[in-house]
Amino acid sequence: MIEFKNLNKSFGDRQILKDLNIDIPQGKIVFVLGMSGTGKSVLLKNIVGLLKPDSGEIWVDGFPVHEMSEKQMSQVRKICGMVFQQPALFDFIDVYENVAYGLRRHERLREEQIQERVVESLALVGLKGIEKKWPHELSYGMKKRVSLARTVALKPKILLFDEPTTGLDPISTSRVNELILDLSRKLGTTSIVVSHDMKSALSVADHIIVLDKGRMLSQGSPTDMRNSSEHLIQEFLQEV
Amino acid sequence: MQSADPIIELRGVGHQFDDLVVFENFNLKVFSGDSLVLVGPSGSGKSLLLKFMTGLVAPDQGEVFYRGQLLSTLSKKDQQSFLAEVGMLFQQNALFDSMKVYDNLDFVLGEAKPDWKSSQREAEIVKFLTAVGLDHVPQLFPGELSGGMQKRLGIARALVLQPKLVFYDDPTAGLDPITSRQIIQMILDLKKQLNATIVTVTHDMMRAYQLAGEIMVCFPRDFIKTGGKEETLHHSNAKVQQFIHGDVKGPLEAL
Amino acid sequence: MTIITKNLQVLGGSVGFFIEIMSSSAHTFRNREEVFNQTLHVFWQSLLTTGFAGFFVGAIMALQFTLQMEVFSALSYLGGLVTSATVREVGPLLIAFLLSGKIGAFTSAELGTMKVSEQIDAIRCLGADPIEEVIVPRFFGIVLASFFLLTVGLMCSLFGGILMASIFAGIPWEQYIRHVPTIMNGFSLTSGVVKCFSFSLVIATLCTYRGYSVRGGAKEVGEGVVQAATQTMISLVLADWVSSLILEELLNV
Repeated sequence: MIEFKNLNKSFGDRQILKDLNIDIPQGKIVFVLGMSGTGKSVLLKNIVGLLKPDSGEIWVDGFPVHEMSEKQMSQVRKICGMVFQQPALFDFIDVYENVAYGLRRHERLREEQIQERVVESLALVGLKGIEKKWPHELSYGMKKRVSLARTVALKPKILLFDEPTTGLDPISTSRVNELILDLSRKLGTTSIVVSHDMKSALSVADHIIVLDKGRMLSQGSPTDMRNSSEHLIQEFLQEV
Repeated sequence: MQSADPIIELRGVGHQFDDLVVFENFNLKVFSGDSLVLVGPSGSGKSLLLKFMTGLVAPDQGEVFYRGQLLSTLSKKDQQSFLAEVGMLFQQNALFDSMKVYDNLDFVLGEAKPDWKSSQREAEIVKFLTAVGLDHVPQLFPGELSGGMQKRLGIARALVLQPKLVFYDDPTAGLDPITSRQIIQMILDLKKQLNATIVTVTHDMMRAYQLAGEIMVCFPRDFIKTGGKEETLHHSNAKVQQFIHGDVKGPLEAL
Repeated sequence: MTIITKNLQVLGGSVGFFIEIMSSSAHTFRNREEVFNQTLHVFWQSLLTTGFAGFFVGAIMALQFTLQMEVFSALSYLGGLVTSATVREVGPLLIAFLLSGKIGAFTSAELGTMKVSEQIDAIRCLGADPIEEVIVPRFFGIVLASFFLLTVGLMCSLFGGILMASIFAGIPWEQYIRHVPTIMNGFSLTSGVVKCFSFSLVIATLCTYRGYSVRGGAKEVGEGVVQAATQTMISLVLADWVSSLILEELLNV
């Protein structure tokens, strides 16, 4: 579904991603773990073309993302939704319009259909009846979930999450994890979750990739991770 | 029951936002040497509680005492000695961006101890930079440091005046778990060295267990002291259990 | 040296950005509702300040000219001179400065915040072009509102001049405005409109550009706003000088 071949990316003289080769199969939930600054978010932004690789190839559902223009990228972005680390809600429109934003641009729908999808998406993230509220009236956890609803409304084949549970209390964390599982089960969505959170990874992921300083350190199933002898993975496991 | 007087005491505190009551007849005593950790869902008032204790915000009702003195009526001189005994690490670090690492500490020390010689200040600064593991980068600017290193500098600056009471507002926000654990260990080591009392707000239960001391789980109008790690894990209150284990179903409403 | 290259970079960047806005502005019509909203927003936000400042500019100019012209006993030309000077030079520049301080700073801060809170990235991911959706409406909002504000500002300055003239120089209002049409000719009016237009382009381009190119966090947003403000001020003065030069050449010879 998503494939990286010999991917390299630098900012100035700092090389962030080094010769990465990753293959992500369809319908799976893949967690990418690593310390801060190891290029996890950069990896995600390369998939949707918000950043371009210095060299190497990225294939998303058959599209060669590494050589596509900003205009062409809209085909990829339609099937590939990104949930940002910050809620990134548009503060100049209300919750309803926030969730409808992508629908109005990616798809030709009648207003009733849009409304249906907005209500449905908000219900999916456990938020009913807040359509008329404004982003600044919501708590941080609610904003994060609205931003999830905004992405889910487009029914993407692939979902990318940039630290979805960072800064959330334990209950909100569980709720987001359940949601990721739910979407994968019900809609067959492929998910890539960038995270620090080994506990969530072990309970949700089909496959876990650990990055260290821009390189692939290790990958495998949650069971493989539990039995790993790598020092960094051991450190992460202490948090479980 | 501790025999000593509390270092900070809140008596009959009440506070509300518009028509949302967050505090109602709330009482709390923090004793010298305690490590109190505040956790809870967002909007439960834990950050506000921290602000009451530092005197940054005055509650609508009730009183805050520091070593038996009413905080709101301290004379200017007493206020200064209160501030000198209190350290605070802000969530955003609030470092001086235009000053080098070394000067961030030198500035604070110079303001508080104008009669110190610069060699005296230097010894003190090197001691603290070494304690937080930044002694190799005194000439860098905060913007050139990683998130974890900025946090360390923030802690060094909060502690350089050797306060007896230190407040940490979400000291590991945005850091990865391994760095977070090191930061908390450092906070605990420095607490021991300075013989200080600390109050910490966090959203991360692993950090709370590492720090406690005593954990207080905060819900709106309901603040439950649960004790240390083991006591909290086995606490009988259903809301506490739901919160610390992150169960989606339970007595707490959707947040 | 670095200052020069830096400023040249900003100049090059903003010219490129201006071209990008223009090539995206084909969709302005589709966004007309948003353009209208932005124009209204800018207009209401600056109406009071502009009116207030306009009034006092008229009053001050009238006062200054009164002292000078009494010497030549040419007070009957006072209204014409004051109005003409205000329309072609002082009015547009003053309104431009006000706009850059108020709307310029607001716009660059707003866009910078959207950038660092990943809202701009989110727009791209949701299948929209941030230049079309966010920049173009704000750009045209500033340009259009400038015209309306100039009109309001000039009316207020005329009023201020009349009031001051009648109080201090004892000139009745009929006499004050009698020579307005003779002195304030087509040249003054064209000059005022052209200047207002070029100033508003400078403000709109620089402030959207600086806001949109912010990278990093809250601190960088602040830096971006400050840079936008200073660069706009300098560019305005330069634009005034250049446009005066060109206008003189074109219209006077």
